[in-house]
Amino acid sequence: MLPPVGARPPLDDGRGGSERIEGPSTELRVGRSGPRGALRAEVVRNTDPARGLALQTALDRLTGGRHTDHDAPDAWVTALRVLPALSARYASFPDGISEPLRDVLGARGITELYTHQAIAIEHALARRNVVITTPTASGKTLCYNAPVLNAILRDPAAHALYLFPTKALAQDQLAELQEIAELLATGHDAQIGVFTYDGDTPQDARKAIRGRAHIVLSNPDMLHSGVLPHHPRWAKLFENLRYVVIDELHTYRGVFGSHLANVLRRMLRICRHYGSNPTFICSSATIANPRELAEGLVEQPFELVSEHGAPRGEKAFVFVNPPVVNRQLGIRRSYLSEARRIAGEFLKRGMQLIVFAQSRLATEILTTYLKDDFDGPAGNRERIRGYRGGYLPQRRRQIEKELRDGLVQAIVSTNALELGIDIGALDVCVMAGYPGTIAATWQRAGRAGRRSERSAAVLVASSAPIDQFVVRHPSYFFDASPEHALINPDNLHILVDHVKCAAFELPFTTSEQYGCHDVQEVLRVLSENGLVHLTGADWQWTSESYPADAVSLRSISSDNFVVVDTTRGADVIGETSFTSGPATLHEKAIYLLEGALYQVERLDFDGRKAYVRAIDCDYYTDAITYTKVTVLETFTMAGSGVRHSGSEGDQVSAPDPRSPIPDPGIHAHGEVHVSSRVVGFKKIKFYTNENVGSGELDLPEQQLHTSAYWLTVPQTIMAALPYAADDRRDGVVGLSFAMRQVAQLLLMCDRNDIGISIGSGSQADDTDLTRTGHPATIPDEPCVFVYDNYPGGIGFSEPLFGMRAELLTRTRDLIASCECEHGCPTCVGPIGDTGPLAKTVAVRILQLLVDSAAPARVVA
Amino acid sequence: MNLTERLRSVVRPSRGGESAAHEDPHTCGPGPTDGLSPASVDPAYCHSPCDTFDGEWRESRGERYVVIDRSYPPGHRHGRAVVADNAPGSDCSWPALALLEPSIGQSRVLFIDVETTGLAGGAGTYAFLVGCGWFEGATFKVRQFLLARYGAERGLLEDVAGTAADAGALVTYNGKTFDVPLLETRFLFHRMTASFAGMPHVDILHSARRLWRTAPYRPLNGVGASLGGPRASCCLDSLEESILGHVREDDVPGYAIPSRYFQYVRSGDERPLAAVLEHNRLDLLSLALLTARAAQLLEEGAEAAQTAREAYGLGCLYLRAGRLQDARACFARAESMESTATAGTADSCVSAEALRALAVLDRRSRRYDDAAAAWRRLLALRACPPRLMLEASEALAVHHEHRERDLHLARDLARESLQFATSGSRATAVRHRLTRLDRKLAFPKSARRAGQTTFPLFNPQF
Repeated sequence: MLPPVGARPPLDDGRGGSERIEGPSTELRVGRSGPRGALRAEVVRNTDPARGLALQTALDRLTGGRHTDHDAPDAWVTALRVLPALSARYASFPDGISEPLRDVLGARGITELYTHQAIAIEHALARRNVVITTPTASGKTLCYNAPVLNAILRDPAAHALYLFPTKALAQDQLAELQEIAELLATGHDAQIGVFTYDGDTPQDARKAIRGRAHIVLSNPDMLHSGVLPHHPRWAKLFENLRYVVIDELHTYRGVFGSHLANVLRRMLRICRHYGSNPTFICSSATIANPRELAEGLVEQPFELVSEHGAPRGEKAFVFVNPPVVNRQLGIRRSYLSEARRIAGEFLKRGMQLIVFAQSRLATEILTTYLKDDFDGPAGNRERIRGYRGGYLPQRRRQIEKELRDGLVQAIVSTNALELGIDIGALDVCVMAGYPGTIAATWQRAGRAGRRSERSAAVLVASSAPIDQFVVRHPSYFFDASPEHALINPDNLHILVDHVKCAAFELPFTTSEQYGCHDVQEVLRVLSENGLVHLTGADWQWTSESYPADAVSLRSISSDNFVVVDTTRGADVIGETSFTSGPATLHEKAIYLLEGALYQVERLDFDGRKAYVRAIDCDYYTDAITYTKVTVLETFTMAGSGVRHSGSEGDQVSAPDPRSPIPDPGIHAHGEVHVSSRVVGFKKIKFYTNENVGSGELDLPEQQLHTSAYWLTVPQTIMAALPYAADDRRDGVVGLSFAMRQVAQLLLMCDRNDIGISIGSGSQADDTDLTRTGHPATIPDEPCVFVYDNYPGGIGFSEPLFGMRAELLTRTRDLIASCECEHGCPTCVGPIGDTGPLAKTVAVRILQLLVDSAAPARVVA
Repeated sequence: MNLTERLRSVVRPSRGGESAAHEDPHTCGPGPTDGLSPASVDPAYCHSPCDTFDGEWRESRGERYVVIDRSYPPGHRHGRAVVADNAPGSDCSWPALALLEPSIGQSRVLFIDVETTGLAGGAGTYAFLVGCGWFEGATFKVRQFLLARYGAERGLLEDVAGTAADAGALVTYNGKTFDVPLLETRFLFHRMTASFAGMPHVDILHSARRLWRTAPYRPLNGVGASLGGPRASCCLDSLEESILGHVREDDVPGYAIPSRYFQYVRSGDERPLAAVLEHNRLDLLSLALLTARAAQLLEEGAEAAQTAREAYGLGCLYLRAGRLQDARACFARAESMESTATAGTADSCVSAEALRALAVLDRRSRRYDDAAAAWRRLLALRACPPRLMLEASEALAVHHEHRERDLHLARDLARESLQFATSGSRATAVRHRLTRLDRKLAFPKSARRAGQTTFPLFNPQF
């Protein structure tokens, strides 16, 4: 029998209850507790010594008692960082906050603000756009709720719009806001309507909400197709819109972010029509460029609040890499078993923990493991709970309550965890598999950690290359975030779709502007297609269609491939973009969804459908795609200045300050044309990554007009390599493979968002291929292209060009520090795909590029 | 590639609903590559909607729109109907309509029908033609407002609001769902208050369905089911044919109307719109005449019904309005018309519904014997649907158990109803009744010992 967990009365820390640490071992805690939020004050011991000791013991068992910050990339625990405790830093309420609101917040235990809250609220009250990057559970919701409620109290006609990426997050915020609104209503006679408005809102409720809501909680999709095109019915909202709140700003990157930027353009257009000018309050996880992202999405200046004053207990962060069990093939022990063992260490010492897994299948497996280990026979109280996405709000509330009350000791969840703010805080967070971005990892780790107590987060790496890179290079993770959230709102495909929507909503005038392209030209082309007509000074909408329906905010065109499961009838189970379609959905391809395997039986290319059937097999497939990139226009170059392939003009400016490490390679970014053809595929065994078969394919060639960054390896360096031609080629191929991994990390994108190609960039490229689809011979001066795998480009190339120094150094580190002998999927590619010297040559090339002393000059 | 070329490659002609690819000879799709581009319009043709349509320009804020007035004289025939016969009383009100919408009172009625640029709704759908109709004495007048230029919409809407304000109530066909909300949106778009938003409003579609919908759905003009538009199921056109007896010739189909308007916008040639104006006028006239027919039925009662279905529908309308006596008379009439109708016609299914309605009404009014008689007649019908057989036999079983006290007959009826019980829950309910009856029959003294005429509660343990 395990001891009861959390025997103290639960004080609800997650709502920003203030507290003071009065001494080393005691504290006065003031907070809310109980269903009515009654004010409670009590003196408790600072840390429950037993708990803190138990945590330390468990950590020591894992780390072998290490106490230093030396990272050990080859060890089982590759990193142990202890983030010191932070005490709270307070500031008083800004003057603009009205009395009733202060009273109500005081009744909820908030008598002072944290410093970051005060600063952010001050900006918002002064109607300055603000973006806040603070960790989880640091009271960020108050940063926007306070100014919004304040505005409504001062002017009952004021309105606000909140945007969340998911409906579930909106639901959770709704509960919080409604409680405060109720307090304001009973105590201070202020009627504030707070409602969610999304696809689930019943039809008969919609009209009432439009009339009564001061605060509308919604999501980008609903705003795009349900609110903006019907703006006359929302006149009250748009006339008086004071604040727009955007939560989880970092999720709006890539294609989704580019679409949202346009939705916001349309919204601001409508606001101008109704005479309002809202202030934006955004919150983001920690990324390298939060202000840039906010300013790119909204096209207005922003203040950044990144320092935070919320208290935090000491947190130990451990990186674990399961040991190698087969050196030749580079196979490691199962990361799920490792996670099970590690979770067990904490569980048996009475800690409360949360385990994150990367897929539903992994979640189910881990839940089963832990239940087997700790729950005992069925019928006993369930201390271990699995959590799936899509739970109803009541179910979520119940799980949160059981966690707070200590009835549930561990919860296993996917990244779809939609638990609201009121989960309390747990002792430990174990992540089975790298969440994919640094931002997401910190968000999950933030689930562990009570205000003033010690907590721990453990990252267990899987054998996926990204996982391996991060776990073996902890500095990448723990130093300042290199992750950039990037968008391209002026991508022509996306822009045109939204110009149509905007023209439907409000006729464009002949003097209006939209985006950076000439919107009058866009409208002229649209009128050629019969969608609009210039009547006087207005572009009148002359079509029966409802353009918002044809636009999906998560893809570039509606030209997606649809995956149809024919195992039992015909169910649509997924969708892929047009550009990734042939590579992932060719005949005999293995399609993975949530851990379940399907095989593609037939691909209807013109009908954009792939018919799949469930299959049980031990391999997956990887397409061999032949790509040929032609440079259309070079925007910027940086290099030795000796050669200028493809650029106009010869202006030489000062040494590029962005490139602290001099490199003689020629970097460039610009516009390219990519033609690609899937020519075959390989069958690769799971776990061992052996090549167990292959096949030939004949699919239509696809053309893509997009942007790219490319690296040109100068002829001098190629000639200086003391290897045979084939080996030199293998080195470049291996280099490109590794560059792809690193680019994915820096750009915060998925594998299919970018593409890699090797060539010269001109038309006359050799067309003989190796088995892997790369050219059999490479030019004397080969270029490695990293292109945006979306028509029109999605904004990756220029930033990647800006990060070229980091790209090269990280790629070098990745390959050089890899434990494999001749290559593996983590660094230069699986053995068999690359030659025996690929790794060696790639490292050599990088050394020559990175370590050479030639100065770099930017040529624009 | 310059911007224009790139844009052209991005903006493909859409695959779905964006271009009008219908078979209307007067529209050939968008773009300069088709037949009706401005260049191909007769340059000598002088664009003058006023002359073509015999209307007049009205100006507002520097923009013009067209107003077209027409009269249908008292003697005008529309199929079998004559205008004068269908005009309301001298005060131009139809008191009978108050049965459908009490707030109508004695108000003068305005008929409204709009032609729009599409069915999608939202800020980008607008009404390019608003048709209003009303009776002046025995003449039916129509006034149409045509949006010749987009910029004139505000003035046009103000004019429409003024016309509506003169009347006191609106009558439309599917207007509650489509026409009026759309006009409201346009008023909101221009930041104007829609004065007619709160007016009493009768949407005749619902009554028309009750009175005149025949069981199989008949497609519109034989061109297949309409595209889910405002005239779906029980279309105005098909009623025009069946009830009024008027068949349109060379009518422009509803789905082709928006593209005709767009073609006019692009080319300036308004001639193809003539058919749209005529279509709109005929819609208003039919709407008025059908409304008159419905009002007549409501006023005269059961005897005025011409078919069993009409009688039954009329009964349902009376029932909704709380006029139980009139409703009963209609149901009775429906049954009697039915028995004289030829078997297999559309009327023959109405009997069962009418009998059921009659029985339920009598039961509500506590005329239990009449109700029971109706149930029995229902059971005796040849073409009675199973669910009604179940209801009838159950109702009779209850009647015999609790009022007639004929337990044997009740049990027989309950057994009979078992064969009609299709769903599990209904069958269970019937079995409970059977069990209870068996118990009562087995132990008669316990039932009488209770001494009251209460309904025993079902006890599952028995």
